[in-house]
Amino acid sequence: MNVTIKEQDGNMVAYLAGSLDTAAAAETEKAMNPLNDVEGKDIIIDCTDLEYISSAGLRIFLGILQNAQEKGGHVYIKGINDNVRTIFTITGFSNIFEYK
Amino acid sequence: MNLDSHSEMLLRQFRELRPSLQQIADEACRLLQNALSEQGIYITAMEHRVKTEKSLAGKLELKGAKYRDINDITDLIGLRVITFYSDEVDKVAALAKRIFDIDWQESVDKRKLHQLDAFGYNSLHYICRLKTGGPRFELQMRTALQHVWSTIEHDTGYKGDVKIPSEYKRQFSRLAGMMELMDDEFSRLRTVLTDYRRQMLALVKSGKLDDVPLSQETFRSYLELQPFDRLNHRIAAVNQAEIFPVSMMSYLPVLESFGLETLGDVQRFIDENSDDAYQLALSHLAITDLDILSSNTAPQYLCLVNVLKQDGGRDGLKSLYDIINGENDTNYMLADLMIEQAKNLPFMHKLNLR
Repeated sequence: MNVTIKEQDGNMVAYLAGSLDTAAAAETEKAMNPLNDVEGKDIIIDCTDLEYISSAGLRIFLGILQNAQEKGGHVYIKGINDNVRTIFTITGFSNIFEYK
Repeated sequence: MNLDSHSEMLLRQFRELRPSLQQIADEACRLLQNALSEQGIYITAMEHRVKTEKSLAGKLELKGAKYRDINDITDLIGLRVITFYSDEVDKVAALAKRIFDIDWQESVDKRKLHQLDAFGYNSLHYICRLKTGGPRFELQMRTALQHVWSTIEHDTGYKGDVKIPSEYKRQFSRLAGMMELMDDEFSRLRTVLTDYRRQMLALVKSGKLDDVPLSQETFRSYLELQPFDRLNHRIAAVNQAEIFPVSMMSYLPVLESFGLETLGDVQRFIDENSDDAYQLALSHLAITDLDILSSNTAPQYLCLVNVLKQDGGRDGLKSLYDIINGENDTNYMLADLMIEQAKNLPFMHKLNLR
């Protein structure tokens, strides 16, 4: 699982690649931690190369969302594949996030 | 500006007093703000100021002889509270009576001063003093519309030197009457709406759901009864999942699109579809190890089942996802997935037999 965070066009963009399963969750959470310090910018989680997301991965996304919302920020999900969208949907989280 | 020696003396007194006047203005403002906040009274604005030297000099030039001492001038400090509704002016006045000493000799309710043929539209003015003593100050209390009136009246120079012809006085008078009527009507409307809300909440609490129309406000109150909890917990038990609370208000337009008109309709919708919604959720979740669900899971599966039972098919499910997720072509993919998962469930068999 690879996480790259870049500032792009005034937004903080996290590029995720691989399978965010339970085994990869702790490392991914650590890598995504800088997103919790973002203020005054929108966060984009680019899931174009994200193959799978587990419950632990959903918890990471929700943590980032809650943190951003408390500061009045937005979290957008980008490039989500059908497999990951299905997981968001069957767990009832599909309309919690905003999509690009 | 030509001031006589008496007025010059008053002006000197004012200069000496000014720092303490500012402190009193700040303290009075703070006390009033705290009292308003404790009573839960929302206002549009509160202003406070100490009179400028220029403004005071202008006043003294006109009527300096009227004042023996600087403390005889009651508007050196001015506070203004602007409320939304006319009845709130009286609430603010009641608070002022509690937290300040009021000089009743000098205070005026200008709202009661108008003659039948008079016009103008004024506010309630109290001359107050802090309970701890010090110089007096003026507290003006008025509604937002009264404030608009007062500001426009000032801007038009209506109270200026030039005598206004009666034709224009009449136009002012008509407008003043209309604004007074608007103020009263806004207050009345608010009271009626508050009563209506109270009545609806009481009906929700007493379980008379068929008498409560489905609306944003009533649905929000209904959600306090946690009508989806039972189904959510049943679904969560499949994977011993944690339920992550989120707002369910996004399901209101979906329920309305199904033609549900009262909370009674919503309750029947839940009761009649819960078992089938559980079966559909089970078919998705049991083959995963997903152990976190949003509290929207129950309403989502209830809505999906309803569309399937109404034979809404692929387009019906896509429309449902369009409302929930926003319009998106991948909603067709989700619709196809639901149809595939549901096709072997008992409620779909029953439909196929019809």
